[in-house]
Amino acid sequence: MASETVASVHVDKTERANPVVSFLHSIGFTPLGAALLVIVALLPLVPPFNQEHMIRWLIMGAFLAAQAAAFDFTAGYIQVVNFGFAAILGLGAYTSGILTNTSPVLAVQPGISPWIGIFAGAILAGLVGLGLGWLTLRLRGIFAAVMAWFVGIALMGLVRNLTELTRGPLGMNPTSLLETTSNLPYYYIILAMMLIVYVLLRLVTRSNYGLAFKAIGQNIAAAKASGINPTKYRVLNFALSAFFAGWLGGFYAHYFGSLTPQTLMHTSKTVEVLALAYIGGRGSMWGGMVVAFPFVFGIEQLRSQFTELAGLHLVIYGALMIVVMIFYPDGVAGLVNWVKEKISGARE
Amino acid sequence: MVEKSSFGSSIMETITENLPASIVIVATIVLTIVIGVVTGPSQILNSIITGGMWALLAVGLALVFGVMNVPHFAHGESFMVGAYVAYFVFNPINTSLGESPNPFLGAIAPFIGILAAGVAGLILGVILERFLFYPLRLRTKQGWVMNAFLLTVGISFILTNGTTLVLGPNFRGIPRYWDVPPLTILGVTMAVDRVVAFFIAVVSIACLWFFLRRTRTGRAIRAVSQDELGAQMMGINLNFIFPLTFALATALAAISGASLLFMFQAYPTVGLQPLYMAWYVVMMAGLGNVIGAIVGGFIVAVLQTATQQFFGISWADVIPTVVMIVVLLVVPQGIFGSKIRSS
Repeated sequence: MASETVASVHVDKTERANPVVSFLHSIGFTPLGAALLVIVALLPLVPPFNQEHMIRWLIMGAFLAAQAAAFDFTAGYIQVVNFGFAAILGLGAYTSGILTNTSPVLAVQPGISPWIGIFAGAILAGLVGLGLGWLTLRLRGIFAAVMAWFVGIALMGLVRNLTELTRGPLGMNPTSLLETTSNLPYYYIILAMMLIVYVLLRLVTRSNYGLAFKAIGQNIAAAKASGINPTKYRVLNFALSAFFAGWLGGFYAHYFGSLTPQTLMHTSKTVEVLALAYIGGRGSMWGGMVVAFPFVFGIEQLRSQFTELAGLHLVIYGALMIVVMIFYPDGVAGLVNWVKEKISGARE
Repeated sequence: MVEKSSFGSSIMETITENLPASIVIVATIVLTIVIGVVTGPSQILNSIITGGMWALLAVGLALVFGVMNVPHFAHGESFMVGAYVAYFVFNPINTSLGESPNPFLGAIAPFIGILAAGVAGLILGVILERFLFYPLRLRTKQGWVMNAFLLTVGISFILTNGTTLVLGPNFRGIPRYWDVPPLTILGVTMAVDRVVAFFIAVVSIACLWFFLRRTRTGRAIRAVSQDELGAQMMGINLNFIFPLTFALATALAAISGASLLFMFQAYPTVGLQPLYMAWYVVMMAGLGNVIGAIVGGFIVAVLQTATQQFFGISWADVIPTVVMIVVLLVVPQGIFGSKIRSS
């Protein structure tokens, strides 16, 4: 919110004339952000990042970054926490996985192309988000959070029970998106998906809808008094976020090629995304994305350094989130904007 | 300011004035009779005993929400801490008893463990309130419910993973608290532990009830739940009431974790199911409604038994959610009503 105005004022003042910069700005990037994006895109071509396991980490980073943006779209703007985010993502993944299935292990073999399946999964996830939002968003935000959690647990239970379709806890193996064993093409696909998620959601938040979202998030009574129907906008926001969660889930299914309810849909997965979005800075959308990449690397380092201390990275996650929550709610995005402000202040 | 809870009215009034509640209660009784006819009295007794435990857990949750406006997501971790404390207190005593039997100590040892868990819960509650909720309250009251919710999520995450880190993911359990033959009630054999756990729940709830209704401090807690500002103007010190409330709720959860140690055992993620059940109860009964939480505990236990009986245990996660969707559609404020719709 405040972060964005600071950024745009900065751009308007100094570089209004430059068409490239104004284009970047129109899709939600500052020159610095665009530079970071280019660096991230070129990373897998440079050693030491061109090793396959490093590319896998980068893919994980982009995957988490996109999730953080979609999550923050709801949590940071309308102040509703979708506590079943991971389960909805899993719903998209499983839907796409089942629709594209050709192996006789499962009861049905529709054999649709994964490129279509991903969107089918996304649409179903969006519809579930729509229904869930319609049911709970008339009430206080906490109802939506808890109900999304219940629905998430129920979805996990469904996946576990419909063994003919999902093989339950044994897990299923969806077909791959590409016929290649290299990770690099997948990296560019998820990077593109991340960009699409971010830019589309950014365009929405720039529109009148975005204004309504912010108004609702800041003061719902005042928003109502200004003639905004909070339920309508909140449901819309919730459904859109769920749609993208399902879409990303589809990528997960056809990239990792293995789905189990526990590793994909568990509440702790939602908490990981939530922590990322909050450490990045709520209401910024890009904060969580910036944090995601270094985080994945840091966590993988921690994991390989302290193999006997399983779960250490999760404790650090939680502690960071609490500290940010209580003492510095603007997160990394707030910090970056503060530095920017200092610099532009010094220049004048 | 809306009234956040209804300690004020008696149980009968709450029920008769509330149509959805009466319908649900009648339906629950019918369901109980059906279960009784189909499977015999054992399942009914089971439901009542489980209901007592869910009620004890849900009361703490309702209290924290009613008084502090905190949607407590680390309630299951209080349960987990209670289970661990009881294990680490009870087990050494039990081992030494194995070497030198002492019937009196043998009978009293489980209570020592459970009491220790309760005390640990009180301490943990005060610490969490002082060091986390208090600074957050100082910083901002805006968006409090969501912020507090996320804070408890963080607490839960740290406690669960921290326990894994320190104590490992392995299960620590005991086969039973009292090494005596099971009781027979109405022709049903029941482990003594289960019966005692039920009575611990009833006594704890009764104590809480007495405390809230009859003591000065208890009345102050109720006053805060009804009108925070008004209570402050009457000279009630929130910096005393909030830690006390949070400590009480944590202690109640710790006691239930301790008294169910023989059933659940102690491991880092043991709190998840109790947390789910407690939230389910308060969502159904009405957030912040303490009486509703007590009655709701038993209703949910019957529903749970019915689900397991008629659909099989693997659907235990799915059917209750469907029921909850219906409840939210028809009576979004909960069947006992808590007057907190929208915004």
